[in-house]
Amino acid sequence: MSTANSATIRQPDEQSLSSAAAKGAIRIERVNKVYDPQGAAIQAVDDCSLDIGGGEICMIVGPSGCGKTTLLNAIAGFHSITNGSIFLDGELLCGPDRPRAEPGPDRVVVFQNGALFPWQTNLENIAFGPIMQGALSKAEAFEKARDLMATAGLLGTEDSYPGEVSSGVRRRVEIVRALMNDPKVLLLDEPFRALDSLTKSVMHEALLNIYYQNKVTIFFITHDLEEAIFLGHRVVIMTTRPCRPKKSILVDIPHPRDYSVLTSPRFRELMDETMEVVHEEAVKAFQAGEKEGA
Amino acid sequence: MMQLRELLKQTAILQAVPDELLDKVLERASLESFSSGDVIYRVGEPARDLFVLVEGEVEHALGPDAGAAVLVKIVKRGDVIGWAALLKGQQQRLAKTTARGQVSLLRINGESLLEILSADPELAEDVLSRCANMVVEDFSLPSWLAQVQEIPRSGDAAETARLTGLSLTMYRSARWFQSPKPYLMLVGFAIFFGSWFFMSEVWHFWRFDNLPGPWEVLQEWFSEDPIYGLSFYTPEYYQHIWVSLRRIMIAFAIATILGVPFGLLLGWSAQFRSYMFPLFETLRPIPILAWVPLAIIMFTGLESPVLFLTALASFYATALNTMLGVESIDESYPRAAACLGASRWQVFRYIIIPGALPYMFTGLQISIGVAWFSLVAAEMVSGEFGLGYVINTSYTTVRYPTIVIGMVTLGIVGYITSALVRLVGDQLMQWRVRELALGGQQ
Repeated sequence: MSTANSATIRQPDEQSLSSAAAKGAIRIERVNKVYDPQGAAIQAVDDCSLDIGGGEICMIVGPSGCGKTTLLNAIAGFHSITNGSIFLDGELLCGPDRPRAEPGPDRVVVFQNGALFPWQTNLENIAFGPIMQGALSKAEAFEKARDLMATAGLLGTEDSYPGEVSSGVRRRVEIVRALMNDPKVLLLDEPFRALDSLTKSVMHEALLNIYYQNKVTIFFITHDLEEAIFLGHRVVIMTTRPCRPKKSILVDIPHPRDYSVLTSPRFRELMDETMEVVHEEAVKAFQAGEKEGA
Repeated sequence: MMQLRELLKQTAILQAVPDELLDKVLERASLESFSSGDVIYRVGEPARDLFVLVEGEVEHALGPDAGAAVLVKIVKRGDVIGWAALLKGQQQRLAKTTARGQVSLLRINGESLLEILSADPELAEDVLSRCANMVVEDFSLPSWLAQVQEIPRSGDAAETARLTGLSLTMYRSARWFQSPKPYLMLVGFAIFFGSWFFMSEVWHFWRFDNLPGPWEVLQEWFSEDPIYGLSFYTPEYYQHIWVSLRRIMIAFAIATILGVPFGLLLGWSAQFRSYMFPLFETLRPIPILAWVPLAIIMFTGLESPVLFLTALASFYATALNTMLGVESIDESYPRAAACLGASRWQVFRYIIIPGALPYMFTGLQISIGVAWFSLVAAEMVSGEFGLGYVINTSYTTVRYPTIVIGMVTLGIVGYITSALVRLVGDQLMQWRVRELALGGQQ
């Protein structure tokens, strides 16, 4: 069952991404991450290699605490890596001489619990990036923010503070805030986890609509298999800690997708296939947890 | 019956259901009529039934929290509303529906519909997935939304958005007077002053004998010719207040100007913190009164030692709370800002400072209270004016009512300064005021 250590799971050729030359290809090469907080070395990521094509929606699934977020943090530049390297469009983000990538607007994270600044209105939040970078003047940034809000159906909430709107609106505002920077990669860490199932399904369609308009690479961590298959070009299942790709499942349901996909036989097949692999890892993680607890 | 069955067959969700099951559904359904303006259901009500529109038009307005931008649509014959009744767990109305003109509706109980369908699981799944598709249509965001979004938003969110600043204060005080709170408060005061009055002036309770009673104090306070020399009518009274107030303002300003940046640095820079925090924590527990001799040695004159002691106490409260404020900021905020291209300085300016504001203002409220506390202590020791001085000299010269006048005045002036700090804080943190107002209204 174990994947060979150096095996790289490659972006399959038959993958039909709408624009072949899309930017935002991520290459993760034999990345290791060891946490050493109190002398007890914990291997969070072990010899992990993964190629994500530009404009691909890559869904990362794995047991809780397996190190998926560590990987995301390494790409974003919040954490260093112990060894290995990560490239974005062939350029080194972090590697042997530079353990930590510089965070930047080409790779924007949408956080698990949301990170809209509560002291700024939705509009100010969205315009934040370009203003900070000095890329746009305040007026220009607000104008662009309003345009994007219009396409995402967020008009009417510009002057509200994030605390005043529903959680679904907050998530959309945060995604639009990320897209304001024309990023190459969107890094989403279980962004819809806290939403109820109804809002979640709306968010999935909203995210796909946004994706069809701006073909960015999406690195999406989730626990929800249905979400993974519904959204992704590919679902990568990670092993339990240390984290490494175990299996990559190609979702051959053509985009654009809508909710009818959920009831299609192919979707069910893929669900079963994914479920089996995930379950196996979950059992391992559970047993490992019991050992640690003992 | 036949007609209704045909109608059910035309609905979005029941298309694939065979006739005999539809008949069963109809058996348990009831036909109801509504007239213009009748509300069929409201947001948040429990959802047990769904409705098929038989005749007329219904206005369907999704609530502001439904996850869609607020969207009003008109529902016509053959449409299904109230599908929330089919959901597990979320059986609450998400929209408000109002009859437009004469309307007749077929009311179908959600549970009994599911029960009928449960005879055929495959069919049930079909109905539910059709329902899901219909729901998604309701919630997806067509491009024409940009044109209809002029529809005035209803609900608390929009309401509070308009309520800011002064109008919010007015609104709150109006609500306050309608509640039992102010009257309970009066009862509390009455009990306190009543017992004081009876114990000191009526019953002459043991040890309360020498205490000035409230009536005696009031008489002195409002007397044009006060026995002990201090009342509303004597200019000295205001001079004492002014001297104390000026000292508070100067000391509070010094403490804030030094304490806020110091606290921000403590919270933000690990290095600065390693230098300063242990020192800070060693000095902080030293009571302000213990500083009095050194203050008098260090500073010349009467004014500066008082200011030093007052500012020192305030400084600790402000710096500590500001530091805690920086620590309270969710780690994701600076990370998100870095992701969006903010430099380290910009993170400090746009994330750390506003993020620490709530704690900072809690600190400033404590700080102004502590300032009064140490001011009075300092004025008792040195100084020749001020409310602390009044209290102390009145004691040594046996002018007991004047002591109480000084005390009550301190209470009132102290409350006002504290309220001013809160007002400034609310002005700077509109986002928080609006959030809290929203929470309070629901």
